[in-house]
Amino acid sequence: MNAITIEGIEKSYGKTVQALKGITLNIPQGEFFGLLGPNGAGKTTLISAIVGLVKPNAGEIRVMGCDIRKNPTEAKKYIGLSPQDININNYMPIGKIMEFQGGFYGVSVKESRRRAEELLKYFKLWDKRKAGRYQLSGGMQRRLMIARALMGKPKILILDEPTAGIDVELRHELWTFLKQLKEKGITILLTTHYIEEAERLCEKIGIIHQGKIIACESPLKLIEQHRLHEKAERSGAFQFVRSGSLEEVFVALTGRPIEEASKKSGEEKWEALPASLL
Amino acid sequence: MGSTTRLAALVQMEFFRFWRLLRQTIVPPVLNTLLFILIFGFSLGSRIKEIHGFPFIVYIIPGLTAMGVMNNAFSNTSTSLHMAKFDRSLDNLLAAPLKPFEMVLALVTGGIARGLLIAILTLAVALPLLKQPLFSFWLTLYFVVMQSVFFGCWGIIGALRAKTWDNLATTQTFVITPLAYLAGVFYSVTILPPPWREISLFNPLFYMVDGTRYGVLGVHDAPLWISAGMITGLAILLFAVCVWLFQIGYKMVR
Repeated sequence: MNAITIEGIEKSYGKTVQALKGITLNIPQGEFFGLLGPNGAGKTTLISAIVGLVKPNAGEIRVMGCDIRKNPTEAKKYIGLSPQDININNYMPIGKIMEFQGGFYGVSVKESRRRAEELLKYFKLWDKRKAGRYQLSGGMQRRLMIARALMGKPKILILDEPTAGIDVELRHELWTFLKQLKEKGITILLTTHYIEEAERLCEKIGIIHQGKIIACESPLKLIEQHRLHEKAERSGAFQFVRSGSLEEVFVALTGRPIEEASKKSGEEKWEALPASLL
Repeated sequence: MGSTTRLAALVQMEFFRFWRLLRQTIVPPVLNTLLFILIFGFSLGSRIKEIHGFPFIVYIIPGLTAMGVMNNAFSNTSTSLHMAKFDRSLDNLLAAPLKPFEMVLALVTGGIARGLLIAILTLAVALPLLKQPLFSFWLTLYFVVMQSVFFGCWGIIGALRAKTWDNLATTQTFVITPLAYLAGVFYSVTILPPPWREISLFNPLFYMVDGTRYGVLGVHDAPLWISAGMITGLAILLFAVCVWLFQIGYKMVR
């Protein structure tokens, strides 16, 4: 059985923005799947649809065989989510946040306390268990979100840009931790716009661009498939990327490096703002 | 088992919030009610004759208790939910395997707990003035709980609709407070001239104040069954609306 089955998902915001354009994707149980794409490609919308925070206009999503719209409570039991935006309760100490999170997933009080202690210690947050959100650094908040996502003993861990804004050392520690989780049989869906992250961790990568999955293969196969273009197209955007890398694949598929695509999407938003204010 | 654990965690989270902020959530409303009793009861009340056989200061105690319950049940659920929207922790709840019914019940239970605590503290402080036990403990409890459910649900709907804290404050200042004052907190509607007496009967808060007064003092303006029926019906209706709004993800799911 697939851990996540996505069939023809479409999502529009208003009449002008089509965030997802008929995405179909299967993620088998136990796989480490990466969703790679620039900012604004539709990664967060797709993840939000999987956990029921976004209502698609068309299509179907099943989590461990349960339809997220028809049987949301059952489907959500399997998922632990660490979203891109920090969404930690402002007024509660982090120890309590962890304990309550376990409760939301039906974990008993005793077990929640034990698990919270274990995870907070692992993520080096135990000393901060009585502190509130604003007493934590950005990196600590990010770690807390991942720890919180693991409280419900998920079979599927969804991490939306988990290493955004955290230092290199911590990023590498997190990569090691995620590999350990994968070895324990947890299915991991990771979104990132860091090529190296996707390359190092993921067994399979879906490249998402302008609301569509434009390629979905293992990193090696993707590189193999697009190596053919290497010599012929060693000019333009290609001259700025490593030969035989995922980044090269991304350029071959989208016509520009991922950083540039991310920046471009930011620029578009920035330019649109004053007009909407008038 | 799972459902009970989930609900217990949600309820504990609600209790934890208002208990942690005791100085903001419990002390001010009790102090406020006491000031009402002192100002209206002692200073102005001595110039007013008895109402339904009770001194003015005693007559207003149930109404002030009900007003405290209404405001605090509304504040509790609306603040809790609006804060969760504001810091986006609501998304975390929505992504968890929680049922709409469980989420609404937990929020409302928080409202009931705070409403009950306000009622108990207010009545405990005012008890020496009453000089008699509660007329009916169970009826008082029933009306306090039902008011808390009604206003707790109203707070949920208000928080879901509100875009800013100002929106919530506006509802409390311009809708709830005037309706509460006009619900007979400080007077019996039987002394109002027509058409004001009839108009008062369209104010649902009148039945809540009147029912609470019956529970505490044993006097009432409207038949008890109408007050009880009205508040029970409205509380159930608003609770059902809240569950439905959570089910469809109103202003929560994009």
